[in-house]
Amino acid sequence: MNGKKREDNVIVETIARIMAPFIQLFALYVIIHGTGGPGGGFQGGVVFASAFILYVIAFDLSGGRKRFPESANIFFSSFGLYIYAGIGLLSILFTAGAAQYLNYGFIPFTSHFEENRALGMDIVEIGIGITVMAVTASIFFDLAGKKEEDEKKEEEEPR
Amino acid sequence: MNKLEVAALVPIILLCGLFVYVAEDIPVFGDPNAAPIRYVEIFSIDSDEEGELLEQQIVPQKLTRGLVERGFPPPSRLEKVPGPPGEWNAFIAKDEAHYAREEKYYFIRREKGKLKVYRYAFVVRWIEKGLQETAVPNMVTYGLADYRGYDTLGETTVIFTAGVSVILLLRRRSRL
Repeated sequence: MNGKKREDNVIVETIARIMAPFIQLFALYVIIHGTGGPGGGFQGGVVFASAFILYVIAFDLSGGRKRFPESANIFFSSFGLYIYAGIGLLSILFTAGAAQYLNYGFIPFTSHFEENRALGMDIVEIGIGITVMAVTASIFFDLAGKKEEDEKKEEEEPR
Repeated sequence: MNKLEVAALVPIILLCGLFVYVAEDIPVFGDPNAAPIRYVEIFSIDSDEEGELLEQQIVPQKLTRGLVERGFPPPSRLEKVPGPPGEWNAFIAKDEAHYAREEKYYFIRREKGKLKVYRYAFVVRWIEKGLQETAVPNMVTYGLADYRGYDTLGETTVIFTAGVSVILLLRRRSRL
């Protein structure tokens, strides 16, 4: 992009626009079925972030930042970790200190101890997915923005 | 060193001392009766005569036959568990299949005229009892999110820390 205006490619943009929601849907599928099938929070989060990366590659960085603003990015990257740690804390709170940290069975989602453990794992996977998605997107945006910034600085400096 | 640095150093050292003191007071991770650390029951013998043989550190014939019938290696040696009476550890011999050393393998307990035979094996318990204990069919997931939940919490924290580090290093054009 050194002084040149980037070319708009209709095919690339259209395909990216069509694919992005399907990638996100697949990521949600991987996260939600993380306890039953292969996959889980880490994988699903990275797949979700790849939708943002595809959008930035096909369009531009500022458009991608508009879709996923910095404030939301910071919020989500810590929110997933809060969910995880909060579930662990809930198991202490619901038993008034009798159960250990991260012992999901004692959180009364249902009446069955084992079902509670399964549901606790589901929520933990969702928390992992949110954090991984936000952090991966954040790192990508930072690296891409750094390159653009350097190029802008080079242009401004007189040779 | 100026006055401010010394004044900062004192609370830091005090805080370190407090952390060490608190960490010493916290019990070690996991209790010995937690699900993954217990043993798996194999079978039980109804009569109590074998108990007398066990008291004399002799491996009863009935026990060996029952284990071999079920496809387990025969026990070679017995040892009394220190503490409550009526509990023994059984060892399998050196050079048994898949085991290069002598291994503590069985746990025998006397209960109301019965001898219950258990097997020590974390992996076996993980495979056989995991679905029953957590209602999740995926072996990897209940390992990752339940039995080793602390580990995964730490991994997620590592990823979060990496993201924050990249923000601090590269994003200098604006505030956070």
